[in-house]
Amino acid sequence: MKEIIAIIRMNKMQKTKNALAGVDCPSMTANKVLGRGKQKGLQLLQPEIKPEERKWNGMRMKYIPKRMLLIVVDDAEVDKIVKTIIRVNRTGEIGDGKIFICPLEDAIRVRTGERGEEAI
Amino acid sequence: MKMIRAIIKPEKVEEVVNALEKEGVISLTKLDVFGRGRQKGIQAGSSIYDELPKVMLMIVLEDAKAEKVVDVIEDNARTGNIGDGKIFVSAVDEAYTIRTGEKGL
Repeated sequence: MKEIIAIIRMNKMQKTKNALAGVDCPSMTANKVLGRGKQKGLQLLQPEIKPEERKWNGMRMKYIPKRMLLIVVDDAEVDKIVKTIIRVNRTGEIGDGKIFICPLEDAIRVRTGERGEEAI
Repeated sequence: MKMIRAIIKPEKVEEVVNALEKEGVISLTKLDVFGRGRQKGIQAGSSIYDELPKVMLMIVLEDAKAEKVVDVIEDNARTGNIGDGKIFVSAVDEAYTIRTGEKGL
């Protein structure tokens, strides 16, 4: 069993949900989060200055709003879901997000008390 | 790879983030959470607050850096009082960058 943690752009949420439903993995938990990557968030560049003279002028957004998806699936389905998320969310620009895959020991369905694979 | 989830006081977030930046750990995710610890929240007279606002920082990094980062968070988030928070470290198998589709941080 694996837990997939995907951090994606806010405006790709609907498309991602539809795409995941399309590959038969509709269950997920979604959360609104703030985050940043290697680029230290967004920085505002003054357009009137030539690109080579642009310097970071202290104006920046430290954190960027993102959506975080938590998806728990069987090991066999991980690859399919990762591919789907990458296909839908990829724009080629900085800020497309990250996907993490973590091991998970057990899952329990509260309604019936089932454990393990049947609970997903 | 390791995932570090630190649940800390909201007023300590900037301090911790700036300290992490100095260590070269820039990427992180933060989210507002509510929780309580062993002390069942705070009791003031007859009123009990058991959903205290905290901020969770989520950082994924290489195994070798994990120890150091835990120390940095610990040092900067500490006030010595109840409610300073907790740090959890868990395993991450794989990471993908969506922009390139490549494996790795």
